[in-house]
Amino acid sequence: MTRIIGQTALVMALVLALAGAVAAVVGVRRRRPELVRSAQAAVWVNFALLSVANLAMVYALVTHDFSISYVAQVGSRSTPLLFTVISLWGALEGSILFWGWVLAAFTAVAVYRSRARLPDVLPYATATLLTIGAFFYLLLIGPADPFEPLWPVPADGPGPNPLLQNHILMAVHPPLLYLGYVGMAVPYAFAVGSLLSGRFDDVWIRATRRWTIVAWTFLTLAIVAGMWWSYEVLGWGGYWAWDPVENASFMPWLTATAFLHSVMVQERREMLRVWNLGLITATFVLTVLGTFLTRSGILSSVHAFTQGAIGYYFLVFIALVLVFSLVLVGGRSGELRSAGRIESMASRETAFLLNNLVLTAFTFTVLLGTLFPLVAEAVRGVKVSVGGPFFNRMTLPLCVTLLFLLGVGPALPWGRPSAALRRRFLVPLAGLLLAVAVAALRGAHQPYALLVFGFGAFAALSNMAEFAGAARARVRAHGEGPARALLRVIAAHRRRYGGYTAHLGVVALAVGIAASSSLRREREATLPAGGILEVAGYGLRLDRLWAEEEPQRFVIGSDVTLLEAGRERGRLEPRLNYYGGRSEPLTTPAVQSRATRDIYVTLMAFENDGSSATLKAVVEPLVAWIWVGGLMIALGAVIALWPGRRRTRRSVGVQRELPLQPAAAPRRRVAEGGAD
Amino acid sequence: MRCLGLLLVALAFADVGGATAQDAAPPAPPASAERAPTAAGRASAAWLEQQTRTIASQLRCPVCQGLSLQDSPTELAQEMRDVIRTQLAEGRSPDQVKAYFVGRYGEWILLQPEPRSFNLMVYVLPLVMLVGGGAVVLFALRRWTRADGAATETAAVEDQSTVNS
Repeated sequence: MTRIIGQTALVMALVLALAGAVAAVVGVRRRRPELVRSAQAAVWVNFALLSVANLAMVYALVTHDFSISYVAQVGSRSTPLLFTVISLWGALEGSILFWGWVLAAFTAVAVYRSRARLPDVLPYATATLLTIGAFFYLLLIGPADPFEPLWPVPADGPGPNPLLQNHILMAVHPPLLYLGYVGMAVPYAFAVGSLLSGRFDDVWIRATRRWTIVAWTFLTLAIVAGMWWSYEVLGWGGYWAWDPVENASFMPWLTATAFLHSVMVQERREMLRVWNLGLITATFVLTVLGTFLTRSGILSSVHAFTQGAIGYYFLVFIALVLVFSLVLVGGRSGELRSAGRIESMASRETAFLLNNLVLTAFTFTVLLGTLFPLVAEAVRGVKVSVGGPFFNRMTLPLCVTLLFLLGVGPALPWGRPSAALRRRFLVPLAGLLLAVAVAALRGAHQPYALLVFGFGAFAALSNMAEFAGAARARVRAHGEGPARALLRVIAAHRRRYGGYTAHLGVVALAVGIAASSSLRREREATLPAGGILEVAGYGLRLDRLWAEEEPQRFVIGSDVTLLEAGRERGRLEPRLNYYGGRSEPLTTPAVQSRATRDIYVTLMAFENDGSSATLKAVVEPLVAWIWVGGLMIALGAVIALWPGRRRTRRSVGVQRELPLQPAAAPRRRVAEGGAD
Repeated sequence: MRCLGLLLVALAFADVGGATAQDAAPPAPPASAERAPTAAGRASAAWLEQQTRTIASQLRCPVCQGLSLQDSPTELAQEMRDVIRTQLAEGRSPDQVKAYFVGRYGEWILLQPEPRSFNLMVYVLPLVMLVGGGAVVLFALRRWTRADGAATETAAVEDQSTVNS
């Protein structure tokens, strides 16, 4: 029964999506609004249908309906309820099903929010989103059918992949990633809509920009949550391995970041239109490529689920999207060209152009490195690896350059630099020197780490100076307290200060990565019970080993006491988890996290009689700042997105008080706060 | 912002112990007993350990997903690190040790493709892209700035103070 409900819903969704796409295009071409409205109705119904299909699958999982092959593949009666529910995205078919639901939801929200605003663009955008949806529904009916029946019905299943049920972050990371990936389809659809309708005005740019920020925020959070998961689960004390699928999620992030910056040049100077459309398209194609790499199993990876025909579907789809986009942009490029001009080399515009250059080169490097093993195998017939050492060597110079630009850019004005520009860099430069000196004194001597600390301090101070300068002006003009003035400043220019907040998050993240990787100390030793492992001035005393039987797994644990200067500083419990039927355990590290450092202990091996065990301890400075940085980036995005028009209109007083923007204030307010 | 201030403070007091990352921990006691050369002093033991780390972080753990031998927590990686250490202690050079692993597992074991012949592509193309892109940006900037000339100084100052976001 569940199976029939699910499959019927998916077939109906496919038919409706195709019909709706045709109706939308015909409706706008022939000027028949009722057809356009019917396409919108198809969007709502599609969302309902995908919700039904997903609920049917969750129901099947929760009731352990092993007559459905997907449930038999990822379900087991001993798995805790939460992990049973989230195994909806634990394997190929379920993850595509969930993907389809997220896409249907995004489509519905995007169409609903823009229905009154973009009469020419929206029907094409609707058709684009429905067509992308149709591709995924086709997968769900064909090569990735989640409701495929299974006979004979097994009594129990193996349960989800142990890696996926070992940590709660697995309930967070995949949905965020899907929201980020799928969300990028919306700006792409608006870009296609504007190209097909020939409208390239502000309204379109605003919708595209806002939707890109939304998807980009989810993608940022997803990447950081993935790093955190890998840190907490994989037991090697790191968070980024340049795994092909990590790269796949990083590439669209890079191009979307480039777009979020270069779109401002388009808004100001009406330049870079073709380039921006290219970035949006590239971002969307990279998300599909990412899905393809993840799901086709063409590259071996933690995330690869399976091999099969589904890869060809993706390749054809990617090819179609590329050809379609190229033809579309190519056909319009004459209209899109503009007589742009830039007043000075030392301007914000230049900083954005360089930012785009570096981000594009970054994306290309990651793409090439990720796909090179395939190319090498095809050309030379030899398997090669392109891993961490390669990517670090190639991208670290780019990271440092970005950090430098991130410090210089916000201080550069649009147009021409003023005479006071040089003074703006005095404090940041002093910070740079101080940070390098302090880091060098404290033992950092890898050149890239020092550069990151230096430019990190530079960028942080430079961005903070923007907040401080504006707040100080307010304090002087209105006698407000500093905190209140700061909040007012941020509230009045959400986009700008949201952006700077995100910048500060990037700095925190970069410094966290540089410190934790370059100043990392680790040690491994086999200890008798009561023995102490010493690392970087800390002692780890192995108190005892224990074993415990849990419904879905068998746990070997160790009680470890952390000692500092002879005093007890807390307890850690690193474990080895044995999931049903698998002989290789999952090492489950224990972490004590502080602002200055993390202590990361892994139980590597143990004697069966409990007499001794091998522990590995890593002391990593500033790791926690990576997660804080990720959250700050998201916070910045939320500030930038916060809807403000109604509130700021009501409090007219705030508008009038603006000290920094006397002449152009009202116009800018609408453009900044009232977007979309 | 306060967060960032905290971060800077945290950086100043970051927990890096007395020594640097490289000359960290000497080899673990039980293992070192069997592999360290008998006459080797502490200095050479530390050197051996550092070399082992360097090589292990350039080789792939054959049973993991993209992790290096140095990072991998698996038993196999542990054994392979012991092999590296033993070979180094026997006097082989780092290149010889790597060649030994390439001979056994193929080029695939190297996490960074050797920059030779076809593999050069993966190193050179990003540079070509960066330099080419840089040239395009420079060219465009030249053209765009030359087209300018009408903007007066006051307009620029106003631009900066009013629309600077």
